[in-house]
Amino acid sequence: MLSIPSSIIQNMIEHARELAPHECCGILSGKEGEISDCYRITNILANMSEQELTRFDGAKLSDLQRLSPEERADIAFQMDAREMAMAQRDMRSKGLDLLGFYHSHTFSPARPSLTDITIAMEFESYRAKLNFPEPFHLIVSLEVADQPVVRAYRIQEALATEVPIHTLN
Amino acid sequence: MIKVRIPTPLRPMTGGKSEVEMAGSTVSEIIENLGSAHPGIKERLYDEQGEVRRFINIYVNEEDIRFLTGKDTPLKDGDEVSIIPAIAGGS
Repeated sequence: MLSIPSSIIQNMIEHARELAPHECCGILSGKEGEISDCYRITNILANMSEQELTRFDGAKLSDLQRLSPEERADIAFQMDAREMAMAQRDMRSKGLDLLGFYHSHTFSPARPSLTDITIAMEFESYRAKLNFPEPFHLIVSLEVADQPVVRAYRIQEALATEVPIHTLN
Repeated sequence: MIKVRIPTPLRPMTGGKSEVEMAGSTVSEIIENLGSAHPGIKERLYDEQGEVRRFINIYVNEEDIRFLTGKDTPLKDGDEVSIIPAIAGGS
């Protein structure tokens, strides 16, 4: 179970809508399964060089290489590492934990893609060594424009399991 | 020696190793030595201006070097350097 204030759910949906068709991304912090803060992070994908795209793997990399830089951000995101570090520092100063990551799927359902799972597993391999708690992965889908959907997942051993969201008013 | 954690996308350059030991007294020296031992890796970490690429975080132990003294952050025996790409994904 993950508890999120309705204002933060609304904030994530607004973020997704503002950036559409590009994917948005951000970080959520809080304590013990209850989100209290949301940090919007820049999706820098459209500004990444061809060489930097090799950060992605096989099929996704081929897809990205076929598109223009602007179009790439429609199907993927890369968080700005500096903003991510700043957010982590801010949450640490407030005594909060990094509880989750969110991003949007502009044209597809609110479930993790193969790329999402691969990169979540990559993060998982570093996480414990850096003392980060296990994150929730949230996806905002704008597939049906007037009916945005937000879902949360745990991703373990290459499997995504949906976690119910309890909305706090 | 300093233990350096290598992220998944760069492991083909270290023969598949997730951790390597490097000599160096600053982060910058470690990256230089890493680049000499494993050609191509430095270019994956630094941009054309020689700055850490915008999607990469480098930690010394549990602190991001941006909040220490950047690439000049001093290292002592037993410190651990982790190279971590920021979260990404795609639909």
